[in-house]
Amino acid sequence: MNNKIRPAEKIYMAIIFLFMYAPIVTLIVLSFNKSKSRAKWGGFTFQWYLNLVHDSEVLNAMANTLIIALIATIVSTLIGTAASVALTGMKRRTRSLIMGVTNIPMINADIVTGISLMLLFKILHFDAGFVTVLIAHITFNIPYVMLSVLPRMKTISPAVYEAALDLGAEPFFAFRKTILPDLTPAIISGALMAFTMSIDDFIITYFTKGSGFDTLSTKIYSEVKRGIRPEIYALSAIIFVVVLVLLLLSDRMKVRGSKIADRARNAGNVKLKRIGIAVAISAASIAIILMALAFGGVFTKKSTQVFVYNAGEYIDPEVIELFQEETGIEVVYDEFESNEIMYAKVAADGAAYDILCPSDYMIAKLIDNDMLMKLDWSAIPNAKKYIGEQYYQSATAFDPANEYAVPYCWGTVGILYNKEMVQEPVTSWNVLWDPKYRGEILMQDSIRDAFMVALARRGYSINSTDPAEIDTATQDLIEQAPLVQAYVIDQVRDKMIGDEAALGVIYSGEAIYTKRENENLEYVIPDEGSNVWIDGWCVTREARNADNALKWIDFLCRPEIALMNFEYITYSTPNIAAQEMIEDEDIRNSKVAFPDDETLSRCDTYISLGEEGDRLYNEAWKKVKSAN
Amino acid sequence: MSKELITLSHISKSFDGQLILDDLNLVIHENEFVTLLGPSGCGKTTTLRIIGGFETPDQGKVIFDGMDITALAPNKRQLNTVFQKYALFTHMDIADNIAFGLRIKNKSDQYIKDKISYALKLVNLEGYEHRMPDSLSGGQQQRIAIARAIVNEPKVLLLDEPLGALDLKLRQDMQYELIRLKRELGITFIYVTHDQEEALTMSDHIVVMNQGYIQQEGSPEDIYNEPENAFVADFIGDSNIISATMVKDELVRILGTEFPCVDKGFGEEKPVDVVIRPEDVELVPRGQGRISGVVSHIIFKGVHYEMEVQAGGFEWLVHSTKESPVGTEVDIRVDPFNIQVMNKPASEDEQALGVEDV
Repeated sequence: MNNKIRPAEKIYMAIIFLFMYAPIVTLIVLSFNKSKSRAKWGGFTFQWYLNLVHDSEVLNAMANTLIIALIATIVSTLIGTAASVALTGMKRRTRSLIMGVTNIPMINADIVTGISLMLLFKILHFDAGFVTVLIAHITFNIPYVMLSVLPRMKTISPAVYEAALDLGAEPFFAFRKTILPDLTPAIISGALMAFTMSIDDFIITYFTKGSGFDTLSTKIYSEVKRGIRPEIYALSAIIFVVVLVLLLLSDRMKVRGSKIADRARNAGNVKLKRIGIAVAISAASIAIILMALAFGGVFTKKSTQVFVYNAGEYIDPEVIELFQEETGIEVVYDEFESNEIMYAKVAADGAAYDILCPSDYMIAKLIDNDMLMKLDWSAIPNAKKYIGEQYYQSATAFDPANEYAVPYCWGTVGILYNKEMVQEPVTSWNVLWDPKYRGEILMQDSIRDAFMVALARRGYSINSTDPAEIDTATQDLIEQAPLVQAYVIDQVRDKMIGDEAALGVIYSGEAIYTKRENENLEYVIPDEGSNVWIDGWCVTREARNADNALKWIDFLCRPEIALMNFEYITYSTPNIAAQEMIEDEDIRNSKVAFPDDETLSRCDTYISLGEEGDRLYNEAWKKVKSAN
Repeated sequence: MSKELITLSHISKSFDGQLILDDLNLVIHENEFVTLLGPSGCGKTTTLRIIGGFETPDQGKVIFDGMDITALAPNKRQLNTVFQKYALFTHMDIADNIAFGLRIKNKSDQYIKDKISYALKLVNLEGYEHRMPDSLSGGQQQRIAIARAIVNEPKVLLLDEPLGALDLKLRQDMQYELIRLKRELGITFIYVTHDQEEALTMSDHIVVMNQGYIQQEGSPEDIYNEPENAFVADFIGDSNIISATMVKDELVRILGTEFPCVDKGFGEEKPVDVVIRPEDVELVPRGQGRISGVVSHIIFKGVHYEMEVQAGGFEWLVHSTKESPVGTEVDIRVDPFNIQVMNKPASEDEQALGVEDV
């Protein structure tokens, strides 16, 4: 027989390995990329790893993830093992019935499990947070443990256990001495599975976590809107390496463990067993202490808190620290991925958050639905003193009497183009319909932004709800589709930096930063006009800490704080005093960050379309997407 | 007779609505080798498990040495069990297996060491202390299981078909080993088997069970020679069981022919069953016996020939050291004391219950 691997087999293996590891290699390479862009190699750096050490939010989320996974694994392994043992002793019919019931969480869609648990916790008046997530994780982990332990348990003859009883052992001692050793490999693999499932889980965690608590998965997801930071690549790379090392170690341990066990048997050594017991006891006590701490944390609710719900990556974390230091108010800070998700959460539980930072059209919707509190302007003097009057003027589009919102960030939507690839001056949205740039155009994968482009190009209102106008816009977008390279969200900046496209629809905040990475990029607001968006701080009507929420707003309106945030977020600040304090002259005078009044006058904010309008847009968007 | 050690009184037990034991009464004496014998499902293993404490009877009491132990946990009982499939602790070596019960009782290391070597010597496995159970043969494993049980010095050793998994030769060797052990230890053995030969070889006292009832109790000789009903007769060795009529005392009509016998008190013209062991059927030349027949089948079994004889409309099983070829015309003769007369059961349930209670 020829034992050599044939070339075809080698290639097949290589392809499989490539499929499995190419993404991870990409991730690891990017984690050392000096450039923030995914498309450009900016040199080698450890910067992202170093940043990670100081990123208390990510570290916190990681700690939460590990603590939850650890405790959930220990508890679910205990319960699952006990259940498997008990089930084996039951009558067949009872057993299959109970098995069916316990398997449901595993078969069930995560989203159903997640929502059911959320509802249950609500009804029971549990405060969503660490404990609810932990309970949820224990719940969905138990079937996985049983899946591993039960089949093994069935193969173990009860005679061995009975023999131990017969020789005078107490039931638990007999179990530990006879069944447990045979069960151990299955218990360990069940525990590993539970640990992995727990670390992996996003959906169930998301629905049960409440405000101010994040695991890695929910933390990373909340950053999707603004694009994932390179620090997260670094973190993922570390996790991958740690898991790899653990796997290798556990393999080594298995081999060595069996050797040691053999030797121990020969020498009649009971030391190993004692060590095992000691380890188990200390692990259990650590788990108990962690639980106690967690419960303690949940039940000692401080009176001086403010619950903040902001978009992902939308504040300099240091600002939160400063606020806490100065006021002594604890900030329970949570991030949302989109206005719509934020709305759903606030609609479900109006008292969950004190203060929100929605976008213009969403503010209008919240006002319409009576979900916001009128601001007491006398408590927030900085808001009138430092925020430019013109921004309040723009805000009247969604907050007609300036009663509810204080502008926080704003920006425009425009075209980012590469001067090398586009020779002509770009002044109109028409350039996005120019067949010359077939395959070189990037559009925003969002209903409002895509239709804004088409409507503005025709000279229609960007908030049009006229079916005929929308129909025209739809036809235009379908006609444009073959020219479009891709509908994307945050990849526009990466692709443009990497010279992968000539033209892209982009937010001004992103545009400022792309120019630093690629000199050839130019941002322009077309003559037909565009969208100007404003995100503002609003206090919820049911806020429990409204006073603290106002302090929060006033604090953020201080010029030096607004400047910190501007430098962190890079989206334009409406804070005039802060604008004047910007050190970098190019940016202070940037037409991208701060377009002149004439340009701004051509731009409108989005306003809520109403239910009928939403339906119209959604259907039109479906047509556009299916034409692609 | 020695003193009563275990008394089972009015024990009933059912599983999933199926009655396994029905009002069972049994007395086991000290220093006896008692065998519970019967086909599978007869309740013998359940009886043993009730004595061992692994099952609790639905009704009735278990008295051990004058104490009611019905509700006592197995680990508190002064008896030990040898299980059918050895049930050794596979992750412990032989010494640890044997020491298991002694360690629980907090015996000194020296005591344990002495006991291990004593027990291994007793079962002829000296020097096996540090072997692992998987490395031993079935017979060796069973002997370790016995050693593990007896080091605890139980008053009673329960054995649940301990030789069932062994091959024939090994089984026979182990039977002698067990008899020897029993003699050396001087304790009570309660032994469960479905193998009648094993039961006859080893026991002082045999309890034949069927369908949850005791059919007959007695010494091996009693059981073999004087089965009290057709079930026992059939189960213990090969038999000719024939429907017959008791004409009067000491005369029975079998297949239309009258045979003198030694049994009395059945009444006159009463339907009965008779049992005649195959070795008790004598084949004699035509004219010298009571029923005429023809040999229809013969095989050589080593010690004797096994033949089938068609006579009087019945197929007689005959064991004889003398060969009679197929087709030989013969007569059948039976000595009066070799005819065992039994009452006919009136119903199936009655049959199960045993003749003595009717």
